[in-house]
Amino acid sequence: MDGNGDHSAEPRYPDWESVYRDNVTRVYRMLYGKVGNRADAEDLTAEVFVAALGPLRLDASAPEVRAYLFTTARTVLAGHWRRTLGLQVTVLDGADERWLVDAGPEPAPPSTAPQRTATILAALPEPHRRILQLRFLDACSLREAAAALGITVGYAKVLQHRALKRAAALGEAGA
Amino acid sequence: MSTGRYVRDLLGGRRPRRFRADAAQAAELRAAITLAAARPEAGEPRAEFVEDLHRRLSEQAQQSASASAPTPSAARAPVPIRLGPTRRRVLWAGSVAAGAAAIGATADHLISSHAEPEEQTEAAGQVPTLEPNVGTWQTVAETSDLDVGGVRRFDLGSVVGFVSRDAAGLRAVSGICTHQGCRLNLDPGNRELDCPCHNTSFAVDGTLVRHQLYTPPPPLPHLQVREQDGRIDIYVPV
Ligand code: FES
Repeated sequence: MDGNGDHSAEPRYPDWESVYRDNVTRVYRMLYGKVGNRADAEDLTAEVFVAALGPLRLDASAPEVRAYLFTTARTVLAGHWRRTLGLQVTVLDGADERWLVDAGPEPAPPSTAPQRTATILAALPEPHRRILQLRFLDACSLREAAAALGITVGYAKVLQHRALKRAAALGEAGA
Repeated sequence: MSTGRYVRDLLGGRRPRRFRADAAQAAELRAAITLAAARPEAGEPRAEFVEDLHRRLSEQAQQSASASAPTPSAARAPVPIRLGPTRRRVLWAGSVAAGAAAIGATADHLISSHAEPEEQTEAAGQVPTLEPNVGTWQTVAETSDLDVGGVRRFDLGSVVGFVSRDAAGLRAVSGICTHQGCRLNLDPGNRELDCPCHNTSFAVDGTLVRHQLYTPPPPLPHLQVREQDGRIDIYVPV
């Protein structure tokens, strides 16, 4: 499609604005998948762009720019966990990098969380699966989840904790 | 039970509070994060956040550009960023105005558009012309280089675009996609300008030919063009 003789390279960004516009959603989604909440995802996304846009070179290709954003995001996420929980709870790995760097023009679906979640949930016994489904995916309050399951709020709390423990064990086994 | 509080915050949409976690707790939190991130509405950045961060980055760009202003005349210039003919290799500098030309916003002290942004989308067929407040005519081609039916790319550093000639005369349009600012490529066979980022194409007169976006991007802004003494000139900001 390119008929002007500029075949030399991959697409390039004309300026930082286009780097930002093209990647802000991708970076945000990627980080959201690793922290699970908006406040942290917003802060970390801002940190990535503030740190990365200064040293970026205009002559880098779009995939190179994204690879650089990814590296910055990985460092930023590591710093976040060091500060907040003292150990690396989630990491950005090769799969995330491929997702960001190779992603087509329209932002891809948010990470692999939905598939991973489906796998985890499918492996849990019924009450555990139900409470996590209600609390995490259907955004029910503890009270609503308890009512839906016909149990007390106190027991719903215990059940959720056990279910998470079990999900964690599954997650570790699968990791 | 600090993991419990962390998960409560996560589910309540609050910023989770920090604590010293051990490995078992980290595994639980990892599972909770995976589950929370799989919510259907999760992962969509708020528009206000995206715009606010954009504004902060613009400010940072302007600061770093004025801090590194290379000449006294640039330092005296009334605009925060000098758009010289020499393209900087550093992404920050010189890019805000190019982006503004693409987006039709921010640097209106530098480039004024004949149409307000709302009018651009409202008035069908009405294409804005980007007219710098302070500019110069710069030659982009010889008359003999551009026959009827011809299209040529030009790159003046601060402005990139395409100039074309048809039966009605000369025309110049910005070479920056109005969607997110990627640089357009010329497909001379079809007299089309293709965006490599999201498969959008414009005709050489700036009108939208095809796109795959949720909302159609605006037409390409026109640039002022003139022909004299055998040369084709474009009016660009200094
Ligand atoms: S930037 Fe051109 S279509 Fe998206």
